[in-house]
Amino acid sequence: MSMRSINLSEKSAAAAPIVGNRHSQQVARAVSEISKALLGKEHQIKLSLCCLFSGGHLLIEDLPGMGKTTLSYALARALGLEFNRIQFTSDLLPADILGISIFDQNTAQFTFHPGPIFSQLILADEINRTTPKTQSALLEAMEERQVTIEGETRALPEPFFVIATQNPVTLAGTYPLPESQLDRFLMRLRLGYPDQRAERELLEMNTERDKLMEVQQCLTIAEISEFRQQSAEVTASSSLLDYVQRLVNYTRSGEGFHYGLSPRGSLALMRASKTWALMCGRTHVVPEDVQTILPFVVEHRLRAVADEDGHTSASLVQRLLNEVDVLT
Amino acid sequence: MEAGYQIPRAALLWVLSAVTLVILPQIINLPAWLLLIALTCVVWRLLIFSGRLSYPGKLTRIVAVLFTLGVSVYQMRSLGIGLESAASLLTLGFVFKLIEMRYQRDIYVVLSLCFVMSMVAFLYSQSAVMTIYVSLCVTVIVGAMIAVNRSGQEASRKPTLRIATKIALQALPLTIVLFLLFPRIAPLWAVPVPTSGGTTGVTDEMSPGDLSQLGRSNELAFRVQFEDSPPPLHAELYWRGLVLEEFDGETWSRSRSRSSYGIASQLADFQWQWQDRITVQGEPLVYNVILEPTQQPWLYGLHLAEPETDNLFQSRNFEVFNSGLVSTRTSYDMRSFPNNQTDLILLDSARRRALQLPEQGNQRAKTFATELRAAENSEREYVYAVLAFFQQNPFFYTLNPALLSQDRVDDFLFNTQEGFCEHYASAFTFLMRAADIPARVVVGYHGAKYNRYEDFMMVYQYNAHAWSEVWLDGEGWVRVDPTGAVSPERIEQGVEAALADDPAFMEESLLAAVGLGGFNWINTLRLRLEAVEYEWNRRVVNYNEEQQFELFDELFGEIDDEKLISLLVLLAGAVVIGIGLTVIRRDGIQSRDSITQVYLKISGELARIGLPRLPGEGPLVYRDRVVSLRPDLDSAMNELTKLYVHLNYAQPRITAQTEKAYLKTMRARLRELRAALRRNDSYLSE
Repeated sequence: MSMRSINLSEKSAAAAPIVGNRHSQQVARAVSEISKALLGKEHQIKLSLCCLFSGGHLLIEDLPGMGKTTLSYALARALGLEFNRIQFTSDLLPADILGISIFDQNTAQFTFHPGPIFSQLILADEINRTTPKTQSALLEAMEERQVTIEGETRALPEPFFVIATQNPVTLAGTYPLPESQLDRFLMRLRLGYPDQRAERELLEMNTERDKLMEVQQCLTIAEISEFRQQSAEVTASSSLLDYVQRLVNYTRSGEGFHYGLSPRGSLALMRASKTWALMCGRTHVVPEDVQTILPFVVEHRLRAVADEDGHTSASLVQRLLNEVDVLT
Repeated sequence: MEAGYQIPRAALLWVLSAVTLVILPQIINLPAWLLLIALTCVVWRLLIFSGRLSYPGKLTRIVAVLFTLGVSVYQMRSLGIGLESAASLLTLGFVFKLIEMRYQRDIYVVLSLCFVMSMVAFLYSQSAVMTIYVSLCVTVIVGAMIAVNRSGQEASRKPTLRIATKIALQALPLTIVLFLLFPRIAPLWAVPVPTSGGTTGVTDEMSPGDLSQLGRSNELAFRVQFEDSPPPLHAELYWRGLVLEEFDGETWSRSRSRSSYGIASQLADFQWQWQDRITVQGEPLVYNVILEPTQQPWLYGLHLAEPETDNLFQSRNFEVFNSGLVSTRTSYDMRSFPNNQTDLILLDSARRRALQLPEQGNQRAKTFATELRAAENSEREYVYAVLAFFQQNPFFYTLNPALLSQDRVDDFLFNTQEGFCEHYASAFTFLMRAADIPARVVVGYHGAKYNRYEDFMMVYQYNAHAWSEVWLDGEGWVRVDPTGAVSPERIEQGVEAALADDPAFMEESLLAAVGLGGFNWINTLRLRLEAVEYEWNRRVVNYNEEQQFELFDELFGEIDDEKLISLLVLLAGAVVIGIGLTVIRRDGIQSRDSITQVYLKISGELARIGLPRLPGEGPLVYRDRVVSLRPDLDSAMNELTKLYVHLNYAQPRITAQTEKAYLKTMRARLRELRAALRRNDSYLSE
């Protein structure tokens, strides 16, 4: 049935009402600022803001040159965050990220030289190119929001937001992230090609970098943490929770799923839905919110039975949205 | 052919346990070679599964079929067409099917046979324990059916056993209702009775050794429940069976030949002289007896028992007969007078019968009797003297007496001096007759085990007993038990106490075999179990048409066939509707709350114009789609969706009052939508 195969995630994003209030206006402004640098990707920008406001980390999976780095830079500028970029290579060591203690001849003491991870927004570029040991050093820091070096625990700055990228096509010489570590990312995005109009505009520009300079800071750190606090207070009615449970149960018992959604996954789904509702200016979640963010939250946490490389779950998630009844 | 079908491991284990469970209860009834074949087949099946053996070839299967045919022909010729031959034929086919069980449909055949096999167990026993066991079997078979249809992954999610138990429990209420209400139609065929057991219990012949054989068995003979009054003392519990009057020097037997019992029971109705021959005092004891099948016509009761149940007869010696052989468990009511005197005047013919002795043999005993009688003044004193003789000489009460030579009475009285009750009763009666005192042997049971949990008594085969009745002038027939003189505890406390140290006592019992009989808690358990079985027998197994109609009368008042049929139709209808509703509910048309119900009606309305809501569509997406296709419905859809979203999602929970108010508005909007639809549709169709 062709009617059944509509993309509910996109439809839902369009259908859910946006109420004009402070939150939605802030979001609109941030989106428009970032769009100056990354053309025609408003939805992805909004989703990455949702991820950030939910206090989660973002995994961007796309081909090189699609604007992953641009998005990260622009986000950092628009939100006024301290930004560091780490290029992951196969010879990168945990100390290269976390930092190292060096013996100072003058004071005859070890002094700690913090690594690039001590920053509010990290772009971990091509995370699958480095060894599992280094990957796990980063992922541990992401989860704990603190690093322990030589027995001393140091807190990471607040907010702490990691955007990791990986190239899904060239897998030679890479170390794909295992499921357990994929689970640590709240969302996985694909940027995709720009549409005709955006591409044309891009081509008419002189240099891409200039555009980044135009992005102005429009949110403060206090406002970001306010989003975080208030999203926890968004109402999720019993009917909505029923729907979420139906979705989760479908992944656990439905055919075609290699394994179901973990409780961490269902919590992430709820958290992101609430933030999304808040970003739309509402104080309650509607099923359309859940449907909008669901593919980005659950796709990397699920695997189809027939699927070996983790990249064909998209149709499965569409089926999940289409088949689970919203109302009963 | 479904080539490559592999029975799932879990399913195979389920099937094999089901098969094992249904064969188990028949182990005792089946011949050993059949068990061996069954075991081989199960093991073969397991080896096939582990890949060490293959499925049987064509030749093997042909041999198996020929073997089965041969066996059944042989059995029908040797045993006749009966339960045993049919059961073993069924079992044989059943276990052979196991090894060629290759595809799913074979499993279904095996499982269906499992159901049949589990019912076969009821032909042998209908006890409560067996019923529980068969229920367990049914649960396991259902489990096997579920397991066959599930992958291992599904099974790990929800245990098969839990589902099977749930299904079995769901069937339970219907089973009970059908049991109570289904018409008790007279059977179209009779279930052939197992013949291997043969007759049990006391027989109408008594040779030395007969009753001691029964002493080794702990099978139940009958159960007794006294109405209104407390049961008599243990020493008074003489369950009278038959009176044996003929003696040939070795065996005591009943006067009439065995074949004429059918007529005898008819002729034995001596009601007309009942009043003349007896005098009674005091209140009678009223009690109910449930007799296990004996394949004999006679019944047991306390002395001077008057049957209250129809179709029972009394003989001239006050024995009680059934109108046919007791081939099923039989319940009857009795009335006994403990204080009675019978035959104060003894007819000559009766006296002759009670004095008859063989001319030859046992001379020493005859001489002894004559001498002793001469030394005593009265017949009663002579009786006491003989009892004293038993008491004062080293007589020994045992189940394993020494074998007796030609003159059995002589040998017993003066030589071996050890024996079971039949030896004493026989010798005593002989001594009485030798002294010209009318006497006879009575066989039956003595004593009982009281079950305090259900207030009834159980009489076992090891309670089998023999005693004497002596006719004394002015007193009539008097019961004298010579065993009491030798072993008083046998009479006062029971056979268990008297023979506690005798290794032969109850040696057939499993408990005794493993030395557990002495444990108190096991005996308690046994009593409890017996109590349950008693109730089960009374209420369930004996539930017949009569009781069914009594129940109907109680429930629905006066009832006839017409009413009964309409009741059944009603019941069947209720069941069908119940199942139907469950199925419909599962389709998901029904919903939890009334808000969603109203909202679903919108979808129902719009479905008529080809715009049903898809399951995955949220209310807002649905609204957008509808409005984009039917802009005319914009305002109505917007209103309804807004209301619904507000009610369903904006509040964590709503009060009944708000719900009511909103529902009213929603219904009004729904009517508007309907009106709009109708208006526009008629407009469009024009």
